[in-house]
Amino acid sequence: MSDIRKWFMKTHDKGNNAASSKPSSDKPQSEKTVAGGQESSGRRITSKYFNSNKQKGKDEKEKQELPAKRKNAKDSEEIHEDDGDDSVLPTNKKKLADTTPTKKLKSGSGRGIPKKSAVLEESDEDDDKDAVSAAKSAGRGGGGGGRGAPGRSTGGRGRGGGRGGFMNFGERKDPPHKGEKEVPEGAPDCLAGLTFVISGTLDSLEREEAEDLIKRHGGRVTGSVSKKTNYLLCDEDIGGRKSEKAKELGTSFLTEDGLFDMIRASKPAKASSQEDKKLVNKAVAVASQSKVSPKSQVKVPLSSRSPSKQAKPKTATTVQSSSMWTEKYRPKDPKDIIGNQSLVLQLRNWLKAWNEHFLDTGNKKQGKKQNDSGLKKAVLLSGTPGIGKTTSAKLVCQELGFQAIEVNASDSRGKADSKIEKGISGSKTNSVKELVTNEAIGVNMERSKHYKSVLIMDEVDGMSAGDRGGVADLIASIKISKIPIICICNDRYSQKLKSLVNYCLLLSFRKPTKQQMAKRLMDVSKAERLQVNEIALEELAERVNGDMRMALNQLQYMSLSMSVINYDDIRQRFLTNAKDEDISPFTAVDKLFGFNAGKLKMDERINLSMSDPDLVPLIIQENYINYRPSLAGKDDSGIKRMNLIARAAESIADGDIVNVQIRRYRQWQLSQTSSLATSIIPASLLHGQREILEQGERNFNRFGGWLGKNSTMGKNLRLLDDLHVHILASRESSSGRDTIRMEYLTLLLKEMTEPLRTLPKAEAVQQVVELMNTYSISQEDFDTIVELSKFKGHPNPLDGIQPAVKSALTKAYKEQSSSRVVRVADLITLPGVKKVPKKRIAAILEPAGEEVEKGEGDTLDESEEENSSDNEELEGTKGEKLQSELQSYNSKATQIQLELKGTGNSSSKKTSGGRGKGASASGKKVAQAPKTTAKRKW
Amino acid sequence: MLWVDKYRPKTLDQVMVHTDIAHNLKKLVTEQDSPHLLFYGPSGSGKKTLIMALLRQMFGPGAEKVKVENRTWKIDAGSRSLDLELTTLSSANHIEMSPSDAGFQDRYIVQEVIKEMAKNRPIDTKGKKGFKVLVLNDVDKLSREAQHSLRRTMEKYSAYCRLILCCNSSSRVTEAIRSRCLNVRINAPSEEQIVQVLEFIGKKEGLQLPPGFAARIAEKSNRNLRRAILSFETCRVLQYPFTNKQAIPPMDWEEYISEIASDIMKEQSPKRLFQVRGKLYELLINCIPPEIILKRLLYELLRKLDAELKHEVCHWAAYYEYRMRLGQKAIFHIEAFVAKFMSIYKSFLIATFG
Repeated sequence: MSDIRKWFMKTHDKGNNAASSKPSSDKPQSEKTVAGGQESSGRRITSKYFNSNKQKGKDEKEKQELPAKRKNAKDSEEIHEDDGDDSVLPTNKKKLADTTPTKKLKSGSGRGIPKKSAVLEESDEDDDKDAVSAAKSAGRGGGGGGRGAPGRSTGGRGRGGGRGGFMNFGERKDPPHKGEKEVPEGAPDCLAGLTFVISGTLDSLEREEAEDLIKRHGGRVTGSVSKKTNYLLCDEDIGGRKSEKAKELGTSFLTEDGLFDMIRASKPAKASSQEDKKLVNKAVAVASQSKVSPKSQVKVPLSSRSPSKQAKPKTATTVQSSSMWTEKYRPKDPKDIIGNQSLVLQLRNWLKAWNEHFLDTGNKKQGKKQNDSGLKKAVLLSGTPGIGKTTSAKLVCQELGFQAIEVNASDSRGKADSKIEKGISGSKTNSVKELVTNEAIGVNMERSKHYKSVLIMDEVDGMSAGDRGGVADLIASIKISKIPIICICNDRYSQKLKSLVNYCLLLSFRKPTKQQMAKRLMDVSKAERLQVNEIALEELAERVNGDMRMALNQLQYMSLSMSVINYDDIRQRFLTNAKDEDISPFTAVDKLFGFNAGKLKMDERINLSMSDPDLVPLIIQENYINYRPSLAGKDDSGIKRMNLIARAAESIADGDIVNVQIRRYRQWQLSQTSSLATSIIPASLLHGQREILEQGERNFNRFGGWLGKNSTMGKNLRLLDDLHVHILASRESSSGRDTIRMEYLTLLLKEMTEPLRTLPKAEAVQQVVELMNTYSISQEDFDTIVELSKFKGHPNPLDGIQPAVKSALTKAYKEQSSSRVVRVADLITLPGVKKVPKKRIAAILEPAGEEVEKGEGDTLDESEEENSSDNEELEGTKGEKLQSELQSYNSKATQIQLELKGTGNSSSKKTSGGRGKGASASGKKVAQAPKTTAKRKW
Repeated sequence: MLWVDKYRPKTLDQVMVHTDIAHNLKKLVTEQDSPHLLFYGPSGSGKKTLIMALLRQMFGPGAEKVKVENRTWKIDAGSRSLDLELTTLSSANHIEMSPSDAGFQDRYIVQEVIKEMAKNRPIDTKGKKGFKVLVLNDVDKLSREAQHSLRRTMEKYSAYCRLILCCNSSSRVTEAIRSRCLNVRINAPSEEQIVQVLEFIGKKEGLQLPPGFAARIAEKSNRNLRRAILSFETCRVLQYPFTNKQAIPPMDWEEYISEIASDIMKEQSPKRLFQVRGKLYELLINCIPPEIILKRLLYELLRKLDAELKHEVCHWAAYYEYRMRLGQKAIFHIEAFVAKFMSIYKSFLIATFG
């Protein structure tokens, strides 16, 4: 049976299902509305409290209802209702938007006031929890409080992070007592709920170190002072904008020592200090509570029965805890998708309009419309893994009542057989084709409902060798398709997809911000009754690098062993178990040279440097000078740094020697030694703050310059080789290549440019051309000579030569080229010059090959002799099959030699023909400068 | 034509500088045979000239009728096959090449190409010579493996093949090869000899040489005859008639290196090191061999250095030059030397001047 049958069956089933579930369709409808509001669910966490009471009673009921509901959601029935929903939703949203700002204001100003009511609320709702959890919930509230201000403060923080990078432009001084103070260790959450802003230079900590310290203790660091800022951390009042603002707002100032004291205080006398903090926490928590509660109050009337329904899927899932969280908390509605909302909307609109554009409209116009560049028949979603591409595609389809058919890398997707009959029983692709061309699929089933299908081609960049012609076939399918096609890939710029891109509407998904992710993760952990604070989740979100799926998996894993997760746990976890992401060489170098690189473990360093054992050392070599090593400590004269640089340079040179051993003698067991010498030692000597050495340079690691320089050097060496060969061929000099470069070149250049500058035009040109002819220097060689003599900071050797003179030179040179018979250069196969196609060789071989041998018989020189001896050997063994054998692998070497001979011979014939001297007496195949021709015919 | 080539002695009789060696060589080959020869000596002392003149002595003027070939050799090296490009310069009786051009694959050149050439007996209708000659340039740059491969070839095919090896320093040629050859050391010509040659050229060209001018060129040339002649002609191009105070222009790259040296002496800082790196790259890109750069740089530095540091700096230069030869990426080693120098010199400055 073909797969397509299955799909037929499925759609059929679905249809039935839909029919059967019709009676209960009133419920899904309401659920829809809920789902519509779910986007804001993060803000309505408190609604959980409302649910918790009812929830247990309803659990059983829920279980039965849920599956039915989910299917219903897929039903096309709902679309119409949904449309209605849409009109409701915006208003709903609007109100939310309207309410939030006021709330924010309230929370800011009325921080203390609603305290009691909130506490009351808490105690009311948590009556089934014991006293311990009360304390905990306060902590959680603190987290929530921190989150209360996400809109503004997160933005600020983002900027702050970026600024950290820009600040390095060298304006900030080093901390005066860098590394001289002992950094205290405190209770992990002693700064929880506090917001800090760092300003100016601290006494002993680098900016990043301070941030790390605060974060580790549960505090948050933002970029600019706002009302929510608790402390401005600065050691000297530099009177900048931050301190002004802080004074205006009455934010308290805190010195570094004060911060240390705060942290230190938490350690021995936990109880007392903790309480202090707790108080603050409470205050914040209360603020957040007060903020949240009105919201939920606003909400409740709006979405009638929603609170109870909405939270149900989540709470229900806590019961069946065995399933994967990634599946469990997969968004059920397009609006649940984190980030990329505009893209989802775009996708939705595209899908919605698809039928109108490509199918239904007057049949005649169809062709024209397709030409419209704005409209593409397919869409290509791209983005890094785990950010919800497949999910959004599916959800949008589901929402619009399309039936999604997913074909992913697990299916074979090779080029379809041209015979469509095979499709029924054949490969997937055929069935895809079948499907794509057959709009009737859905229609036949139930005319009234007008089923629509969507083909989701997942992982199109994974079409590999097995799926031969897959992309081409996909394009063909898109062209004829009568259903929308959604393609999904990770790397939009992949070479494989180049052709596909033209046929698709491109939607690139971006990574959600860590705040967005943290919000969602918070919902999940709430639902799973996991106690996590906001900062920890943000850290998690940052560590997984935008991959929501990974974040959930990590969270689930951690939930197995602990029920309270804080910042340090996450740090700890990712310290040992970083996501297996592709570390780019730059990141690796950044980490190796980072200010806390000293804390890296040895195998971490090895891993980093091994992430790209070729590039990392090069980047390190390029940039090690730029770092101001923290090892040097106080270093006024810079002597310590210079010593460290010298040591690092030596180590890098060591690495080069080791590398030779590895590459030349295949001693791969030394690769660790090599990474040690090339990367780890220099990095550990010099890690610290990067600074720029050149005006206007960006303060990021440069790409290793060696590769580029080396290839330029290779190119120039080749050019020099050309020149060398030409000079040798002129038989005027037999110097080596290096000699020519180092000793001849200066004079040659002078001889060739000086006359052009000083003498009258005609005379100068004649003189130079004469010189060039003497040494068989071609125009390219002339350029080479000039190029090789250019030094940065020195005047260009061609300066001061009139363009007219230059062109006269070119002209004069070209004029004489006709009498130059055959240039030496034409005879010599130089690297990069294309060789004569093989066919011609075979053709030349039979008649010419013998001629050459006969004609040259007595004047053969060694190399020719060798050629011919090779030839004889070949002929002896292979007999008449020579020509066919030539094509075979064995004789390739001879082929090339013969090629030379062939061309040589033909050229020499040309010479003799031109001069009318009959058959060339000399069998010489190499041409020569015209004036030596006569001499050579001995 | 450049004077260097115009006034190059073509026969052993014309040789002006190493007359005694030329005389001996002539005697050597008139007896119809010759041993393997190893010419060594500093560049610009006349090794190549002597070799060419010697070949002419052996084979007559035919030896000058050379042709250039650039051939690709296909070589089976174990599992893979290599394509090697090699430029050869050959006449009816001799082949000249620089096997070290193949870089680290020079071993295959020696094992396959040279052996192949040495194997084939010359077909000589005139019955003049029973052997042919292989001239190998830059033997000192051959890798150790290649040199080892060479020594067997030298023995085995000695019946009809003579090798003439040419290099700058015999110390980099293995003992085994040296002992199989007649070593001919070509000294750098003395300054008087150079002056003599320059005056000879001046006379031939009909130039007016101010007194002491030739001597100045000779002194500047560092006893390199070729350089002396070349810079003599450069002077001629730049300014004629000569004046006594006329500056003798240095080579472009030497000028650049001396700039680098004064950069280094002026300031020892990471920033300066970075700039120096850029300049070193510039030199390498312009095809100046790294060894030469390092050597010249040391020379320039030593000129400006206090006597007490000279020893140490020389030591480090030698150290890094040796390592450069072991390694592949020359810039790393030169940079390491510069960094080392900066660190030494800086601490010296601080120690003396505070």
